[in-house]
Amino acid sequence: MSSAHSPAPARREAVVTGVGLAVPGLTLPDELLGTVREGGFDPRTGLLGRDLRHKDRASRLALRTAAPALRDAGLLGEDGSAGYTGNGDATAVVVSSNFGILDSVCSFADIIARDTVLGLAPMGLPQTSSNVIAGSVAMAHGLRGPSVTLCNGPTSGLDALYWARALLVAGRAETALVVGVEPDGEAVAKLLGAAAVDGAVALVVETAEHAAARGARVRATLSGCARGADLTAAVTAARAGGPGRTDGAEAPGPAVDLWLTDRPAGEESAPEDPPPVRAAAVLDPTASLGLCSGALGLLQAAAAVAHFDTHAAHTALATCGGPEDDAVAAVFLSGPARTA
Amino acid sequence: MSWDITGMGALACVGGTPAGIFDSLCAGRGGLGPLQVFDHEKYRARQAYEIHDRARPGVDEPGRATRWLLAAIDQALADAGHSEDLAEVPVLVGTTLQEQRSAELWWREGAPLEPDALHFGTALRERYGATRTYTFANACAATLYALAMGTDLIELGEADTVVVAGTDAIGESAFGTLDRVQNDVPEALRPFDRSHRGMLMGEGAVAVVLTREAAPGRRVHGRLRAVGMNCDAQHSTAPDPEGIARVLRETHRRAEIDPADIDLVLLHGSGTPKNDSTEAAVLSRMFPAPGGPLMTAIKSMTGHTLGGSGLLSLAMGALALQRGQVPPVLGLTDPIEEAAGLRLVREEAATAELGLAQIDAFGFGGINAAAILEAAR
Repeated sequence: MSSAHSPAPARREAVVTGVGLAVPGLTLPDELLGTVREGGFDPRTGLLGRDLRHKDRASRLALRTAAPALRDAGLLGEDGSAGYTGNGDATAVVVSSNFGILDSVCSFADIIARDTVLGLAPMGLPQTSSNVIAGSVAMAHGLRGPSVTLCNGPTSGLDALYWARALLVAGRAETALVVGVEPDGEAVAKLLGAAAVDGAVALVVETAEHAAARGARVRATLSGCARGADLTAAVTAARAGGPGRTDGAEAPGPAVDLWLTDRPAGEESAPEDPPPVRAAAVLDPTASLGLCSGALGLLQAAAAVAHFDTHAAHTALATCGGPEDDAVAAVFLSGPARTA
Repeated sequence: MSWDITGMGALACVGGTPAGIFDSLCAGRGGLGPLQVFDHEKYRARQAYEIHDRARPGVDEPGRATRWLLAAIDQALADAGHSEDLAEVPVLVGTTLQEQRSAELWWREGAPLEPDALHFGTALRERYGATRTYTFANACAATLYALAMGTDLIELGEADTVVVAGTDAIGESAFGTLDRVQNDVPEALRPFDRSHRGMLMGEGAVAVVLTREAAPGRRVHGRLRAVGMNCDAQHSTAPDPEGIARVLRETHRRAEIDPADIDLVLLHGSGTPKNDSTEAAVLSRMFPAPGGPLMTAIKSMTGHTLGGSGLLSLAMGALALQRGQVPPVLGLTDPIEEAAGLRLVREEAATAELGLAQIDAFGFGGINAAAILEAAR
């Protein structure tokens, strides 16, 4: 949507400079594209450690993906855990999680019914608010910029990218750590009718000028973000831009090299003619990972970044949501050679 | 830079409209009462600032937070003369607990629950055709955060008008865990008084219609000058004076004002000893005695309405600027030492000519937000 009133500020791109995963069985983002390696993240052994004590499961998963993402972006000191080398005051945290604290909430209600409030553990207090995850990540790395938690349904992960870009182009932050996490648990599995991914993903997003100033390697550009009534509306709005787009910018799509979806081929939406997207390849990460909910959009973006690592001039589109949901979100990404 | 507030809606335990709530506050009428549906045997604290709207007294029902959200937005749209078609209008909802109470009723009592009922976009699509909807679970700074992000959308050319709203219904796990953790059992929420024993939750919803510039002749409730937001990154539940001072300085800078320009502060004032001493100490340094702005803390009558509390304070601030009237801090007779130099309104509403108001909201996760509102004249 363009405003009749204010000219948009000078164009500021948002670029991805780091990716981290804490997804069962996976080590690196290219495994989202089919690369196979031995081992991979195991929540049974990967969620131990002093730094995770007293933390809720979603926070623990998020912390295990935040550090690798920051390290991948060249923003962690040599010893890894200690120093964030960026400007903490200008670094935002954006978290997407729909069911991150659901199991805590349900189990606390059980404990009260059985033992009264005296049975509750005082350390559980932060877990009654969904933003516990963002708080844990901010505290671990000293990130003192805006801290935003989206619980926005199936589109939530892509919506987190929309807001990360808005925070960056509005000048609220120069860097954003964007985390998607969905822990599994008894209540989550009961509500969804299947286990959740029990994993997390993180992306470091920063302004193009900030990345250039510190010599960071750009892995992808967020070239259009939007939420719309259906697939066509979301893709059309995302092509028009998103926060901070100037009128003169080249519109991304509709043809892309890789389309990351959230459903099997042929079930994108109601049949549309012509289809709003033409893609050389289509990938649905949920086919191998299962229910990813609030983490999905960011897993899609991580897959796009991995794709660009070997196809720097390619473009990608990620979409989440369908006719059964309250909206569809779309995010266009482009490889570093595309935007240079 | 500024944005016009052209419509407001709100409901809380002390009133069903912004004006109704404001009148109650000025009259010193609080909404504290015994817990309506939770089993008193299970809790130490047995009071809250609840909305009494359940179909069967004593029997809880799911979906109350969503119902109030829609009621507040209905009011705000009607007040602004805005259509109920929000297909192109972003709606930003701030909340602490989302529909957590509905999840508890599903888990404990088998009430129906669909996963898509846990975020508010589903109901907003049904009611208003809205698709640019965002549920921010940003604890008790949620609605001022949403307000900041709404102003950014307008600045970035993403929209001319946005709806910013908040809602929260009390849930057992959140109420119970707070009850477990607080050292004492509060008899009431008594911000900045030596008798303060902690926080008690309240219920409610609030909405505003925010636009770049109101159409000529259209009433404007107030001009939003700036909203700042940050994170302490220090502690998951305790406030940090440095983070609060930093967000206030940033907000003043964005608004291009000095602290001396401010006539009124609507404090976060949650009634916990830690919040009150921290907030009062930071503000005492920022607004040295004597002089300084009038201050009030509406949670002394509404309870802590959680995610919506910041925007509810802002709506009350708009009415205070319009009417030149400031509600008192109910129950404040003996201020804590850190608040001794602050001009907290006591006993009865104060009258004064007011031009600029500051609104504070701080939340779990160390997140802070503040807004500057200017009277529209």
